[in-house]
Amino acid sequence: MKELREIDRRLLEFKESAELMVDLAYSSLLYDNRVIAREVDVLETIMDREQNALERLAVEEVREGGSVDRALVYIRLINALETIGDAAREIADVELRDMDVHPVFQMSVKDSERTITAAIISPTSGFREKTLKELDLPKEYGMWVIAVKRGKRWIYGPGADVKIMAGDWVIASGPPDMEDEFVEAAGRKVEWDTEDE
Amino acid sequence: MKLWKKKEFEEVEYEPRSVRETLTEMKDISEVIVDLAYAAVLFNSGEIAEEVRLLEVEMDKLKYQLQMTVMLGTRTTEDAEQLSGVLQVANATEHISNAAGDIVSLLKTHMKAPILPSVLKEGDEIISFIRVPEALKGVRIEELYDSVSAGLRVLAVKRGKRWFYDPDDEMPLRGNDRIVVSGIDEDLAELKKYLGGRA
Repeated sequence: MKELREIDRRLLEFKESAELMVDLAYSSLLYDNRVIAREVDVLETIMDREQNALERLAVEEVREGGSVDRALVYIRLINALETIGDAAREIADVELRDMDVHPVFQMSVKDSERTITAAIISPTSGFREKTLKELDLPKEYGMWVIAVKRGKRWIYGPGADVKIMAGDWVIASGPPDMEDEFVEAAGRKVEWDTEDE
Repeated sequence: MKLWKKKEFEEVEYEPRSVRETLTEMKDISEVIVDLAYAAVLFNSGEIAEEVRLLEVEMDKLKYQLQMTVMLGTRTTEDAEQLSGVLQVANATEHISNAAGDIVSLLKTHMKAPILPSVLKEGDEIISFIRVPEALKGVRIEELYDSVSAGLRVLAVKRGKRWFYDPDDEMPLRGNDRIVVSGIDEDLAELKKYLGGRA
């Protein structure tokens, strides 16, 4: 990645965090998984803090002679992204309150242009012992990894250097017609009835 | 008067549609609208911004539709509990579309040079505006996904003065179409090569 100014680099992370939160929020409801919903809540708190920090950075640039318009553009974008993060938190709220979600929700996610799927990496899977960069799942399957579960540990929004291991649970979003192919290459579908928290 | 302004407070009447159908549409719009908003800012395009406004207005109507369907479908306290969760999710998708509207409002600020592209052009997934070579004939959008990368997503097609948003995968592209595509950097480069090769 090219050299970005601090504010741009952090804004980019802010944007990616908002997008991840929406995917995580849908996943939490789809799989009735409170652990993921809690992560959305945590990320939302972090985003609130970061919003404040980013807005300060934008304003400080003005004090140092930067353009007012430019600062306004930044602040408005920061706000819009924060709204998206909040929306994710609203979705996760349903899971956090332990409400039964109507089955129609699952159907809708499956009908969507971008669906969410979860697979367990089998001991013979070609994904095993490879980094996400090497696997290039967006290119091969149109799938973006939202989270990886390894034992009791979750890795949310894993980076390109994360290595996939046998037994990992991989939650990904992508086109519904690639779902079966993806799950087959990974191993098998996650059975969520035995959710451990 | 702009089309979205005309439609903004259009009357909403009950239509017999399922919760499933309406909720899916709202979720899909909430995703495509954010990408289109970024595209509008990136390419400084009032036309794409206009489509974002239209989708935003559509979203408001869908929300009413869903509320009506849910009210009519609620019989028991259990229904009420479960369906209130569905309404909560639907509201959130509507909030996301509002955020997309806020993003395209950035086009109205008096900036001489665009500043956001430097941010939006980085990151894993980026948005690009690609011209289809003149000599290209009959390549369907899904063929691009099959031949180049399943990770690409054609958000919009501009043909002459007309725009097609969130086009069908079966739509054939024509020479001189311009397409708004999201994907990773390498895939977009490969897509340009592929289109060039097919021309």
